[in-house]
Amino acid sequence: MGLLTILKKMKRKEREMRLLMLGLDNAGKTTIMKKFNGEDVSTISPTLGFNIKTLEHRGFKLNIWDVGGQKSLRSYWRNYFESTDGLVWVVDSADKLRLEDCRRELSALLLEERLAGATLLVFANKQDLPGALSKDAIREALALDDIKTHHWCIIGCSAMTGENLLTGVDWLLDDIAAQIFTAD
Amino acid sequence: MLGYIWQYFYTSFFRFWLKWILRQVTGKCELQRICSGYKQGAPRTSRAEYSLESSKSKALRSAVSVDEDQVEKCVVAIMQEKNIHSQKDPTFKANLRVCIFQITGYKKLYNSVENLRKEVFDSENKAHEDMLLKLWNLLKPSVKLESRITKQWGDVGFQGDDPKTDFRGMGMLGLTNLVFFSERYTDLSQQVLSHSNHPKLGYSYAIVGINLTEMAYSLLKAGTLKPHFYNGVLGVPHLEHFHQLYCYLAYEFDKFWMEEEPTSIMEFNQYREKFQEKVKKLLEQPDVSLSLRELSDQ
Repeated sequence: MGLLTILKKMKRKEREMRLLMLGLDNAGKTTIMKKFNGEDVSTISPTLGFNIKTLEHRGFKLNIWDVGGQKSLRSYWRNYFESTDGLVWVVDSADKLRLEDCRRELSALLLEERLAGATLLVFANKQDLPGALSKDAIREALALDDIKTHHWCIIGCSAMTGENLLTGVDWLLDDIAAQIFTAD
Repeated sequence: MLGYIWQYFYTSFFRFWLKWILRQVTGKCELQRICSGYKQGAPRTSRAEYSLESSKSKALRSAVSVDEDQVEKCVVAIMQEKNIHSQKDPTFKANLRVCIFQITGYKKLYNSVENLRKEVFDSENKAHEDMLLKLWNLLKPSVKLESRITKQWGDVGFQGDDPKTDFRGMGMLGLTNLVFFSERYTDLSQQVLSHSNHPKLGYSYAIVGINLTEMAYSLLKAGTLKPHFYNGVLGVPHLEHFHQLYCYLAYEFDKFWMEEEPTSIMEFNQYREKFQEKVKKLLEQPDVSLSLRELSDQ
């Protein structure tokens, strides 16, 4: 093996990213993942366990983990923390009753040591629904401005229409890439 | 690659001459040979379907999508076109009729299933609400539901306090399947529900059910279930037959899960895949019929 191949191999490894998608049940995690991958989103059923998808985007290899959000599954979330580069927190913007639940779960996650270096992207999903709160209302409800430990960003989106999914993922990749490559 | 080349030559050239030679030798056309030479059910109907679909004649090609009340006329037209006389081949007409009922019936079944799937669960709709409460009463006959929105729904495997968000893309098809299983096979569904509460191997009964509805739906859509329905229903299949298939999957998946002993519910998708492969293998057998009927407790 020549030096060049080794360098190329290392580079390829660097360009791999692990994204962990979490949120309460019915937030739209699986729909976001499928829509982003160009799959049909009309026949989805609730996620038990997890889905994993590997896809190429802008020359990066993304390993996206989509873990079920129902209460009984949340204790398993920790099994997926290891070496996560980006945390995608998905919020159902129309589910006002559970926003407090949502805030509590997110703030608990941010205390996790194994997620300490991860960039946080919050998707305020379901913006296409008539009763949806704006991304600023979600930002306030989740007290995002208090977060000092992680790079974060909130994007209003709709997994059904695909609106803003790309914007969110692109921001996440840019932030992670900047951290990985400037650290070297 | 070689396979493709062979297939190309076969469908566009050899098949024609092979049919011609066989017709000269036997004095019968391909459809006649299929109807008399293969067992009723999938072996016969699947071949007839292929033969009709790849025919050069429009009358034959259109037979696979004809309306139910036009089948008789269609059979007569095919016999005219192919110059088949009832006196010479007395069973042909009845046999072909069954084949066409089955072929067009499968497509109609898919449409009915698709319509029910697209019907979103709506808590403003009394019929939907009544059905949901009926499900509770069938699964937990001795426990009263404290209110419409309650943590009790978790006991039958819904995700939260209100099941309405759990039906997702499966819509009313998912709920109808769950209710059908509990109504038709009450004891079996109770048995499956009690397994789902197992301290180690437990799983979410309703959510797994909705995932199995998705499995049944996608197998139907892909045409994989054709052999099952061609063997099991000698005529037009109806929604009830689809629900019966769901019952088979719900019962068999539970058995499979308990035997495999997964370490936790987080492995659900792997076992779901494995189970689906198993079902697909069964569906490759020509005489397949996935039925729970022998186990019926009513």
